[in-house]
Amino acid sequence: MNNIKEIKNEILNEKYYEIDHSSGLKIFVYPKENYSSCYAIFGTKYGSTDNCFKAGENGEYITVPEGIAHFLEHKLFESEERGAFERYSETGASANAYTSFDKTCYLFSCTGNFSESLEILLDFVTSPYFTPETVKKEQGIIGQEIKMTNDEPSWALLFTLLKAMYKTHPVSIDIAGTVQSISEITAELLYECYNAFYNLNNMALAVAGNVSIDEVLAVADKILKPSEKKQIERKFENEPKEVVSKYAEKRLSVSRPLFALGYKEDVKGVRRTLKQTLESEIMLDIIAGRTSYLYEKMIESGLINTTFYSEYFEGLGYGAHIFSGESENPEEVRRRIDEEILRLQTEGVDRCEFERIKKKHYGKFIMGFDDVDAVANFLINDYFNGDSSFDGLSILESITFEDINRRLSESIDVNNSSMSVVKAE
Amino acid sequence: MSNVKYNETAEGIRLLCVNTGKFKTNYISIDLFVPIGEDLPAQYVLCSLLAHTSRDYPTFKSFNSKVEGLYGASFDSGVSSYGDNVRLTYCLELPDDRFALYGDKPSEEAIDFLINILLNPFCENGKFDGETAKREVRFTLEDLEAKKNDKRAYALSRLKQLMCEGEKYGVDSEWLENGVCEVTPERLFEAYKNLLSTAQIVVTACGTLSQDMLSEKMTAFAKNIENRKPVKLTSEFVTKPNEVRYFNESMKMMNQAKLVIGIRSGMKNDTDDYYPYRIMTDVFGGGPYSRLFANVREKLGLCYYCGARLIRQKGIIFVQSGIEKDNYGKALEEILNQLTVMKKGEFTDEELESSKKALADAYCGVEDSPMGVCTYYASQCFSDEIISGEEEAQAFLAVTREDVIKCAQRAVVDSVYLLSGEENDE
Repeated sequence: MNNIKEIKNEILNEKYYEIDHSSGLKIFVYPKENYSSCYAIFGTKYGSTDNCFKAGENGEYITVPEGIAHFLEHKLFESEERGAFERYSETGASANAYTSFDKTCYLFSCTGNFSESLEILLDFVTSPYFTPETVKKEQGIIGQEIKMTNDEPSWALLFTLLKAMYKTHPVSIDIAGTVQSISEITAELLYECYNAFYNLNNMALAVAGNVSIDEVLAVADKILKPSEKKQIERKFENEPKEVVSKYAEKRLSVSRPLFALGYKEDVKGVRRTLKQTLESEIMLDIIAGRTSYLYEKMIESGLINTTFYSEYFEGLGYGAHIFSGESENPEEVRRRIDEEILRLQTEGVDRCEFERIKKKHYGKFIMGFDDVDAVANFLINDYFNGDSSFDGLSILESITFEDINRRLSESIDVNNSSMSVVKAE
Repeated sequence: MSNVKYNETAEGIRLLCVNTGKFKTNYISIDLFVPIGEDLPAQYVLCSLLAHTSRDYPTFKSFNSKVEGLYGASFDSGVSSYGDNVRLTYCLELPDDRFALYGDKPSEEAIDFLINILLNPFCENGKFDGETAKREVRFTLEDLEAKKNDKRAYALSRLKQLMCEGEKYGVDSEWLENGVCEVTPERLFEAYKNLLSTAQIVVTACGTLSQDMLSEKMTAFAKNIENRKPVKLTSEFVTKPNEVRYFNESMKMMNQAKLVIGIRSGMKNDTDDYYPYRIMTDVFGGGPYSRLFANVREKLGLCYYCGARLIRQKGIIFVQSGIEKDNYGKALEEILNQLTVMKKGEFTDEELESSKKALADAYCGVEDSPMGVCTYYASQCFSDEIISGEEEAQAFLAVTREDVIKCAQRAVVDSVYLLSGEENDE
């Protein structure tokens, strides 16, 4: 028996359905009137940071090679009979997948043959097939992917920063692993990870666009078998509050130095609430967004250029406010950002700036709900974070000027930051 | 939506407005097209300058605050090539007026803002502000130099330059960067006047915006430009190169080599067998069902990516792959082998049908976002007739095996380029 709940938002004038499917899977269906296309995403709460875990009551903790979640993502497309891409080629759907720090998702978009494509998606993700031969072949392909990302300055910048900030937390591990670590992956290990995390109770399906609940449930009922709930426990070593080092560098062929400055937040091993995340985003705009005095001064003085941006980076057991860009003098950028943060922590933020930026985020929230791929991704991300996709708007409305000042004081310590720089010789 | 069309509101100014209430946002883009020429370095700087200041908002903060105040509107700009022509783009997306919180009408305000940044820039007495011009030269130069950071994109740009030397499309990057360095406030103003006077201007909008309102504004816009003499756009299609040329370059600290191949498709213009050529390119190197993906990547394990793309406005097919330097010979051999497979018609019916289905499916969904609508129709802004996504889908489905083989047989390899790490790199 499937339990269906309708969730509406009056401002957007839209609704979606949240379904507890009889198999254990959480399903979201977001119909979009007058749209031609559909986007479906089937994800598991398993990513690169889940490298030490146990599943089931009597299991032991195991530590797996770095990059195995991503490796598993690649291998699931293969089958003893016909691979997923070959099957999709008959329906015309455009398919892809990705692995991030905390989830792995398989997706497709289409305008026709939706049910057939959904059947393929649900079937291949729930039908693993790993052999020593197919594992060996993939090591070559993923080896090339790793080398490709190793040439990307922005990727190197991020992971150099994460290694400087995090001593034990696996967020500092490259999502694809290394050429060495993936050589240790075996078919048996892939099955171990699969059986632990690809349990429907640990997964979710979101579909948005020209689709109905009945269509989705008809396929889900046909393909999905009931999944016994399994306790998954992830093990993380204690992560110290302090950064590992204040500065780290990597050499790559770049036209000018790239920098990423991260202020490590003391998160006490838990995730931020949606309210805290939204507060952080508003706060970052106030500190150094494109309309801030700091941004204007740094741009006009030639210290940064228009590549400068900021983001709040968070997940289970980690959180950081990061400022990135290009500069011939990253240390000066750091000094100025530190100075501005201290000034705002002392004097408080400007009320007019706060109101304008809050209105900006309101507009961004509205705009996010036009694209079917964005909508489906929000549904999956928010569910895995323990949030509900429409909640953002009401939470945003509730954020006060005082909330931002408090968040600024509590979440950033200028004495606890790291900076990574990528530069040529 | 197959009834939409571009209306010429003034000579060389086209407007298309897709009026629909199905989205939450309104989207408008203004594209200015001119042939690539001596003004190009100044045009790069100009594009950046007009995206950061205007007469009404002369500072970074005031300009960005205006955009932000439009409910977090997304404003973007850029320079791109359109065959042997350059395109300067300015586009704005913002929530529809029905979401405004105070009874305000941000959409019309946004359109006025966009028009004014083109019509009323921050300048006086025949030149742009000196400090502003200097800053924008810096941004432009740093942006051009930073293109080397993305090795895959850089390898492609090098091949374009080498393969198309002598064609306007093959812009010399050194000439461009030197030209940018030498841009003065006066030169910039001259380029600005030339641009407004000679550009083909295309305005594409989608949302609840009124065609009449837009038309009125664009007519007024045209009247405010002195000496409007829009120039015709052309592109040279080279069908038969003299011989295959090979280029090898190296760069420090590179892990993975980038292989790029330029193929002259044989197209004589941008409508010559376009649908068969698209399908041919797709079967050859489009998606995961393509010959390149199945063989160079899956069967031989030589790469993570290997794909082909048709540049319609030049009739060139680019193949790109990231490989181990030591596998250059094998990868090149296999890619050329797969092109021969296409010429001999040795691809399967399933591969052909997969490609047709995938492209047809994709085109049926082009109108599911305001940006998608505008991008799709803007790609036809100079066509006599506008074709809907569904009609394009039908055209792809009608392509036959024989059509594809004929196109493949017309395709000729022009240049091969390899960018790799230096010998003493680990």
